[in-house]
Amino acid sequence: MKILILLTLLTLSSLSADYRVPVKVPSITFPIAVDKDFRVMQRNCQWCHSYGYVLNQGKQSREFWHKSVVKMREVFKAPITKEDEKTVTDYLFKHYGNGKLR
Amino acid sequence: MQRRDFFKLSFAASAVALSTSAMGSATRKPRDLQKVSTVAFPEKRPLITYSDRPPLLETPRDAFTRAVTPNDEFFVRWHMPKIPTHTYISTYRINVHGHVNKPLSLSIKNLKENYEQVELTAVMQCGGNSRSAFSPTTSGIQWGSGAMGCAVWKGVRLGDILESAGMQNGASWIGLNGDDKPIMDKMPTFVRELELHEIKDDVIVAYEMNGEDLPYLNGYPVRLIIPGMYADSWVKMLSNITVSKEYKELFFMDTAYRIPDNECECETQDNIILKTKPITTMNVKSYIGYPTSNTQITANSNVLVKGVAFDSGHGIKEVLISLNGGKTWENAELESELSPYAFRVFKFSFRPKAKGKVTIMAKAMNTLGEEQPFAHEIQWNHGGYKYNGIDSVTIEVV
Repeated sequence: MKILILLTLLTLSSLSADYRVPVKVPSITFPIAVDKDFRVMQRNCQWCHSYGYVLNQGKQSREFWHKSVVKMREVFKAPITKEDEKTVTDYLFKHYGNGKLR
Repeated sequence: MQRRDFFKLSFAASAVALSTSAMGSATRKPRDLQKVSTVAFPEKRPLITYSDRPPLLETPRDAFTRAVTPNDEFFVRWHMPKIPTHTYISTYRINVHGHVNKPLSLSIKNLKENYEQVELTAVMQCGGNSRSAFSPTTSGIQWGSGAMGCAVWKGVRLGDILESAGMQNGASWIGLNGDDKPIMDKMPTFVRELELHEIKDDVIVAYEMNGEDLPYLNGYPVRLIIPGMYADSWVKMLSNITVSKEYKELFFMDTAYRIPDNECECETQDNIILKTKPITTMNVKSYIGYPTSNTQITANSNVLVKGVAFDSGHGIKEVLISLNGGKTWENAELESELSPYAFRVFKFSFRPKAKGKVTIMAKAMNTLGEEQPFAHEIQWNHGGYKYNGIDSVTIEVV
């Protein structure tokens, strides 16, 4: 009986362990561009950060966006394939580019 | 950035040309009048919201009429999206290890009971505050000028903590790690390093902000406070202090938060300076909290301009106001100094008679004689750091 009580208490405490006062960071809907490549961008980028990070970099060159995508893989370890790298770069430059290659 | 006299002549003549030319390298003013979100984050009122994951929240201009920024208006900037809540605070620990005689595992209770308590008022400013002013657009979040705030911080000296652990011979670098985590396991966490000599008496591990526990979004339960320095090393949810003999090569130290290592701390897009140095002490700066841009003022009524000025801790000597584009300047009244590291409130009264637009500019000078340059005089750096151009607000007299 004691063990049962102990186990119950342990289970309950671990379920509630993270929230003394519930802290819930709200979810914001960002006006991200949706086109045929949106899903490719979404599955590569949404793991780690909101679309807000894309929208608030300012309009940038193709080179900037390409370097960013590569940085996401090389430094931040996002599993972006070579094929997706090109698609995501194209998407970012198309919707959030400044029209310049460099 | 220091204003150099030889710029005065050349820029005075070409000021208009530079700011309106299509050169592409003339610094603009930072973005202004961004709307606050309809959504409020925990313990915050609605703020300008760039991201929810991780949270990036900017304080709107009208908060900067007071020396102390309320906790619920204070800006928020995280790097990592997994931000733990620390509820069983009795189990929270700050680990101190490495080249120390006695590794420590400090609870919040230890901090409050076993060390001298220190309280200080200091400005915290993101290194990229006002970044949106740079042209061409630099990399990084395009902040307006609200990624800053001033609070009364209470905590324990980092130096006292290190002393209680006992530094071994050769110890010279302090690695600081917070509890926020990346999604990808192999991603570098947000670690900052300070050299031992950088840890002066006023560097504290704070558990209180404006008389309350640190808000969750500002680093509950403890964060580092380094008065006078940009906030890149003000680690939130400080949980790990590693003392070492050598500098460790880290992304967040070696790539981010660095500027050209030359006199002007500047470069051009076509000629990026390879030798860089970390951003450290804050440039003298001021910001008008009232009136906000596009405010309509009735002709012949009294306008009380109010704002804040600060620098890296030498103290503000004067704040000057111009109503004619910088041709002539008058002294604003300064409120009392809460601390050399705090916001210094300035006030200036005037009565506009003629209808039409009036541009109000504010320029701060510190006790070393450093003063803010005009926005268009600010030179470019690829990270968009350390902007401190003269602020201006245009009102409409009706």
